[in-house]
Amino acid sequence: MADKQQQVVVKRARHKSSVKDPGTPGVLKLTKDRFTFMPNDPSSPVKHNVEFRTIKGHKFTKDGTKQALLNLTQDQGGNYIFEFENFPDRNVCKDFVASAIALSGEAGRTVPEKSAVPIQDEQLSAAEMERRIKLLQEDSDLQKLHKQFVIGGILSEAEFWATRKKLLEQNYSRRPKQRVALKNDMWSTKPLADGQIFAEKPAVRQAYLNFVPNKMTEKEFWTKYSRAEYLHSTKNVIAAAAEAAEDEELAVFLKQDDMLVNEARKKIRQVDPTLDMEADEGDDYMHLPIQDHGLPRNDNKDVLDSQYEPYRRSFSQHLNQHAAVVLQGRVIDVELGDTRSVAEALARTKHAELAKDASDVYLDKERLERISRMTEIEDLQAPRDPAVAPLSIKDPRDYFDSQQANAFSTLGDTVSGAKQLKCSVSTREAYCSLKECISEIKFQGLTEPTINSEVAFKVLNGLAQNISSNKYHLGRNPNESVLDSLPKITREELLLHWSSIQELLKHFWSSYPITTKYLLTKATKLKDAMSQIYPKLQEIKESVQSDLRHQVSLLVQPMLQALDAAFAHYDADVQNRSARSGERPNGF
Amino acid sequence: MKFQIEDVTVYFPYDNIYPEQYAYMVELKRALDAKGHCLLEMPTGTGKTIALLSLITSYALSKPSNPIKFIYCTRTVHEMEKTLSELKLLHNYQLQHLGPAAKILALGLSSRKNLCINPTVVSAENRDSVDAACRKLTASWVRELAAENPRIPTCSFFENYEKSASEAILPPGVYTLQDLRAYGKLKGWCPYFLARHMVQLANVVVYSYQYLLDPKVAGIISKEMQRESVVVFDEAHNIDNVCIEALSVSVRMQTLEGATRNINRMSQEIDRFKATDAGRLRAEYNRLVEGLALRGDLPASDAWLANPALPNDILKEAVPGNIRRAEHFLSVLRRLVQYIRGRLQTENVEKEGPVAFVASVNTQAGIDQKMLRFCYDRLHSLMLTLEISDTDEFLHIQTICDFATLVGTYTRGFSIIIEPFDERMPHIPDPVLQLCCHDASLAIKPVFERFQSVVITSGTLSPIDLYPRLLNFNPVVSRSFTMSLTRDCICPMVLTRGSDQLPVSTKYDLRSDPGVEKNYGKLLLEMVSVVPDGIVCFFVSYSYMDGIVNSWHETGLLKEIMQHKLVFIETQDVVETTLALDNYRKACDCGRGAVFFSVARGKVAEGIDFDRHYGRLVIMFGVPFQYTLSRILLARLEYLRDTFQIKEGDFLTFDALRQAAQCVGRVIRSKADYGMMIFADKRYSRHDKRSKLPGWILSHLRDAHLNLSTDMAAHIAREGIKEEGSQMIIKVAVLDLSIACDST
Repeated sequence: MADKQQQVVVKRARHKSSVKDPGTPGVLKLTKDRFTFMPNDPSSPVKHNVEFRTIKGHKFTKDGTKQALLNLTQDQGGNYIFEFENFPDRNVCKDFVASAIALSGEAGRTVPEKSAVPIQDEQLSAAEMERRIKLLQEDSDLQKLHKQFVIGGILSEAEFWATRKKLLEQNYSRRPKQRVALKNDMWSTKPLADGQIFAEKPAVRQAYLNFVPNKMTEKEFWTKYSRAEYLHSTKNVIAAAAEAAEDEELAVFLKQDDMLVNEARKKIRQVDPTLDMEADEGDDYMHLPIQDHGLPRNDNKDVLDSQYEPYRRSFSQHLNQHAAVVLQGRVIDVELGDTRSVAEALARTKHAELAKDASDVYLDKERLERISRMTEIEDLQAPRDPAVAPLSIKDPRDYFDSQQANAFSTLGDTVSGAKQLKCSVSTREAYCSLKECISEIKFQGLTEPTINSEVAFKVLNGLAQNISSNKYHLGRNPNESVLDSLPKITREELLLHWSSIQELLKHFWSSYPITTKYLLTKATKLKDAMSQIYPKLQEIKESVQSDLRHQVSLLVQPMLQALDAAFAHYDADVQNRSARSGERPNGF
Repeated sequence: MKFQIEDVTVYFPYDNIYPEQYAYMVELKRALDAKGHCLLEMPTGTGKTIALLSLITSYALSKPSNPIKFIYCTRTVHEMEKTLSELKLLHNYQLQHLGPAAKILALGLSSRKNLCINPTVVSAENRDSVDAACRKLTASWVRELAAENPRIPTCSFFENYEKSASEAILPPGVYTLQDLRAYGKLKGWCPYFLARHMVQLANVVVYSYQYLLDPKVAGIISKEMQRESVVVFDEAHNIDNVCIEALSVSVRMQTLEGATRNINRMSQEIDRFKATDAGRLRAEYNRLVEGLALRGDLPASDAWLANPALPNDILKEAVPGNIRRAEHFLSVLRRLVQYIRGRLQTENVEKEGPVAFVASVNTQAGIDQKMLRFCYDRLHSLMLTLEISDTDEFLHIQTICDFATLVGTYTRGFSIIIEPFDERMPHIPDPVLQLCCHDASLAIKPVFERFQSVVITSGTLSPIDLYPRLLNFNPVVSRSFTMSLTRDCICPMVLTRGSDQLPVSTKYDLRSDPGVEKNYGKLLLEMVSVVPDGIVCFFVSYSYMDGIVNSWHETGLLKEIMQHKLVFIETQDVVETTLALDNYRKACDCGRGAVFFSVARGKVAEGIDFDRHYGRLVIMFGVPFQYTLSRILLARLEYLRDTFQIKEGDFLTFDALRQAAQCVGRVIRSKADYGMMIFADKRYSRHDKRSKLPGWILSHLRDAHLNLSTDMAAHIAREGIKEEGSQMIIKVAVLDLSIACDST
């Protein structure tokens, strides 16, 4: 871990343009924010001076393979391959690079954000701040909007977040987020697959942190662990106890996991009371061996001495613990591979979890709600509210697709909906109307020559094909929305404009009625920002190829309409205001 | 909704009612009118509890001049909580319609462990240590000492409660255990003693069976509950077993060693008192001369629960002269322990009746029947006198005295069985003396005699004529209701063959057959890949479950199962099982899906619901027969045959199938729910076994589903899930109020 503190690393290495390339010998120098490569031959053109900010990741060959390679991949797809003289050299560089990338990545992401958040009139608590930054980090769209409007000066920080209170609260109320699942596999060949052993066996984790690398090497540690697992699998409690007596480190693995027991004791207090069998135990006044109504107990407890008690571990216990860990999912966001950091991170999260008070008001409330929900017999209850499904549109694409569908359905409506079809027509009526038509044609003559019906059908088909196929595909195939048929740039541009228009409109309408000067300036500012977007939308419409233009205009139309409505409202308001300003000189 | 049943206006908190709920209420009302006992079987998932609560509270409301008390007994604490929250719903509804006239006081009562709010006390490990820790702070002698010496700790909650004296009452309302704790914290009063006090004044009391059936605890109510009470035993299909357990005691070598230590400690205490405070022992002697009944004078926190197993006239009798003096009583106990130790030294299994045993105690240890009978009460009086507060240390001697009192009181319905070793492990000596009660009617007799109406109800009481015989009472109403359904919300199947068409069973000869184990595993594997959300599996015993899960693990079947769902398992450790259940529910909630392995007759099968997505399928692996080689069971069977003319085979089958029905009934809680049930054993296809299942399961068991193999069952499950999914929205037909009124 010591090399992490090092500020500069200088090693001999060869730069290679590809793995097969013999490479240019030179010196690689690594500092905190960049790396430089100077060839030994000063005339050689291979010189590099690259910032870590542009480096996306690093790959390396395994220890003991033919070459000690380190491959740094760049954002734009380029990469730098270095061959080192030996593995230790390479490893030093590898570790340094890893931390440097992580650092610069963090800096790239969070630091500008932090500085960009201007603390204006409101005093933000640190927690609030943290929450906002976290939200921005998680949601790149939000980040874009934030950059565009807040940093662009159109909205203030407070205004921006005011419309997102819900988002903030939601995040606050520690709703379980979806987490990366663990594989439900108890017998993984790679013991550290995802820190699963450490999560399932806190004692092993603790032991690892205590023993490695001071007392034993990693390899020795896992050998001991495997030995312990083997002893358990033989189910020979006495043999396990005997081995444990000789080897105190082994004993740690063999003994019952005290940390688990403590954890269980804490968790039991948060359990749903309708499940709490421990409470029953507390109410059970019978101290009898035959409690389970004639169920023979197979506890051979009396057989063994109590000295072996700690070494007994049941398979069922393991099964439950495993399933609990899998259910919880991966709780840490540490790059896997470094055993120690995994162990440390797990220990931290566990600690934080347990620190939460069991008598939390929030949890209590939730528990009560849950019980009352369980109590009611649903189908005897009359429906209380009209069934309303809350709408939550998360993906702008959904919005577009539905707009498209709306557009089509309104098209159809105007045709069929305008004329009420009368279905039950008597023969007489039908005959009359037909006669009328014929006499009309007779009287006026045909305005156009009669067309062959086949030809007419073909033309009609050709015209309507695009529309009908669109209509047919719409919503059938989630992967193939109208948006996907557009070129990538257009699509992204559209989505961006859509979200920014949404944001602007939200603020624009919320500033009406205008009662203060502040709101007036805000509305004006917003209007200006919107009128800048307006021509851009037009441009998009015109720039696309003709066969897509119809679809794009269908997409853009609602946006334009919304903007038009806003402009109209603004103008009307301004006129009103100027008309009234004669009466009221202060303008309000 | 509000409707009339004859002269009673029933307030029912829902807008609709099932026809069977209405019929249930009508029958129940007849029993109350007749002031007699009744026996009602109604399927799970038809809202039994709410029907019961509404009728009885409405009945009480309609007769304000002569209010009846309502005692509701549940098997477990979490059922108590569920019942109280249903009552809360009902109470709110009644308040809305009747106003303040509907106000009642309803509360749950549990042990100190579940009610205590003193953080130092409640952190103790188990119930006994919580009790002891409480006594250390609240016993009258401790408080006397604390009054002089402020450094002696007391419990502030108890002190506050005592200080408020008559003001310490609960306002009307419905209190769950959690509410009681919250109220106690708010007022600074001890919820446990408050609840114990309020039980006398409450209109509705909800507590565990044992508070009425176990003579050691029932003391509180034998004093406080009036005759005009309605007692309900809900989920009472196992009530005979609870009764029997309440009166059974077992004594091991460890018990005797502990008892000897206890006796030594008490004799030291006596010496100490003789030296310092001889007056105390004399006062006790005088009290005992006057009779045990005078214990009522003791402060509330010290009162030992009286022993209702003793008839009332004995309670008024004075303690026999030869155990009135403390040292004499101790020497009696010493002789008794010595005698039992001698009996445990036997090489062979011995079995005898209580009369022979008492005679032998009399000749060999010189203790007569009357002395034995008073042991329990005499011991507690002595412990009070000696100011012993660490009562959890004295459990062993209490067990011995329990035993002595029971064996001295009853002459029939019991046997004493001494086994030198567990026959499954004959090489390890582990002698045990068991006093087994065979007659369930003994423990429940005082309840039937004491209270006007006793209602015994459950989802599985089949065959319904057996229970009056087992419990020895005459119900005025005894009925079994079926479920009215417009669609099949349960789908029972009998699976007799595995995927290789060989029979599956947990019968003794097939039990450890690897082919059967594999077939069972394959069945589960098929099901986990078909059925969404939760699946519950019940096995016939812990050892069978451990064995089969291990064998699935070794053959890799478990791994395949785990690729579809998470696996949780019941263990004998309640804390772990509770956490496993909690995680199981979470896994079902989040859509991950899970399997829960559990044991029939175990704690999970007894009281946990797996309704809705928590249990879309339940698989009963095998027939959960009792362990038929157990001597206790054999003795009970013999007694049942001789006394009630019930054949052994019939009783065993009845017992196994009520457990199986109980297990599978866990998956359905309302008619909007649906669940599939698989009985995986070839023996279920035989008529004599199957016919013992309750009617509501049998009526859904189609002939085509009686003899299935794994692939057929999987096919039916797949179809069933599909169909249910599409039917989910269809509402179940419910009876309108007008129809209900017409039919009366």
